Amino acid sequence: MLNKYAKSKQINIKVRFMQFMNPANKKIIFAQASVLKRAAAFAIDILTVNLIILFPFDTVYRKIVPSDSFSEAFRFLSSNANSTSIRIIIMSASIVTILYFVIFEKKLRQTPGKMLFRLYVKEEGKDLKYWQLFIRSMFLMPLFPFVLLWIIDPIVMLFTKDNQRLSEILSRTKVVEEYKV
Amino acid sequence: MKPQKNKWWQAIKIILGLAVLSFILSIIISMFIEDDFDGLDGNVAVIDITGTILADEDVDFLFEDVTSSDDIIELIKKADRNNEIKAIVFKINSPGGSAVASEEIANEIKKTNKTTVAWIREIGTSGAYWIASASDHVIANRMSITGSIGVIASYLGFSGFISDHNVTYERLVSGNLKDMGSPFKEMTQEERILFQKSLDSIHDYFVEEVAKNRNLKRRDVEKIATGQFFIGAEAKELGLVDELGGREEVITYVEEKIGEEADFTSYETKKGFFESLGKIFNENSFYIGKGIGNSLFAKAKLKESVSIST
Repeated sequence: MLNKYAKSKQINIKVRFMQFMNPANKKIIFAQASVLKRAAAFAIDILTVNLIILFPFDTVYRKIVPSDSFSEAFRFLSSNANSTSIRIIIMSASIVTILYFVIFEKKLRQTPGKMLFRLYVKEEGKDLKYWQLFIRSMFLMPLFPFVLLWIIDPIVMLFTKDNQRLSEILSRTKVVEEYKV
Repeated sequence: MKPQKNKWWQAIKIILGLAVLSFILSIIISMFIEDDFDGLDGNVAVIDITGTILADEDVDFLFEDVTSSDDIIELIKKADRNNEIKAIVFKINSPGGSAVASEEIANEIKKTNKTTVAWIREIGTSGAYWIASASDHVIANRMSITGSIGVIASYLGFSGFISDHNVTYERLVSGNLKDMGSPFKEMTQEERILFQKSLDSIHDYFVEEVAKNRNLKRRDVEKIATGQFFIGAEAKELGLVDELGGREEVITYVEEKIGEEADFTSYETKKGFFESLGKIFNENSFYIGKGIGNSLFAKAKLKESVSIST
């Protein structure tokens, strides 16, 4: 772990040194993305999805959940977990969230969060296919066994060479960071 | 790589597109939800049992009130699943109907752990009384019509009519009793005995259930199970009703049981256009036989045979 962290630090220092030495002749290179930047980009994306894209679902949610208090809402949702309506809401919200990642990564190779941190999705083959993008985002599906990826993905990420999540290994993709040198 | 400015424009377009998609989806979903989560604000579910009680979900008459046991059972289950609901009130205004449907509803009421109250309004007889008796507490107006513990399977016979009009009934059966109860032929003595036997058995179940539900002696119920109806005050004396009153008495009883202020919320199945139209024209029946007649008519139409109603 420490070795990996030191390595990524080394790359960063090298890149910054090259920028300092040669500011006029800037060249773009792609290297391994930092875990922290990826986490921040993901947080921004989830925030965007929740505040803007899933905003209409808020009306539906308020219609079914009797109270604003978290404990009461949780109690209500747990006792009505088998309700078809609740399942439909959860599935629809997840599908829209997955579409957000798939469409952005297919069209721009970046989501808004990744754009802020200059991160890109890179494929191992010739072109980024839809199936690869769906596999990358399948951890957002609130169904077993996909929910296990919430735990497995970050763990695998910390122990792989290119900080790849399990979903990324399976989809043969990775996230890289853009450097101007 | 696309220029950064261009990318942001595209990003805004994608976000707006997805927001429109989720807006459309949320509209579609809210239509479903209205049906699934009706009235979640209160703590007392009110379920209406109005008109003839039938088992078939699809049986509807344009100008008649019909209650399907499938719908009522679904509403009871829904109220039972909701932890916010502490009591269920059955607002009854029905002359009864199918014996099977009545028993199905009564059994579902007995399954729930929540406080159940039957509030008989104008009429709660026969199968509707069977349902009421399954509740923890029965409240009726002193002038409400209730009781009528009995079973009926009468029907109109057309054999004389069709022979008068030179129409023949070509009897083609492989079992001797296959067309038993057909209105186009005269009933035989054997058929009459068999019919009566079945009716007596159902009557027995009915009496037994009422005695069990109301905690009455079987022989006491047998005495009043002549099919006779009683007004609320008489029913109270006979032990068929616990309390005389209306909405206020229902609220008082429920609040006492649940230990908090009662907030009524209506649990109902969404009705289609024709059902809503039918409601406008509907007149509530004063006659006990009306429900039974409708039930028989419905069944005869559907199954082309005689049905047994409570």
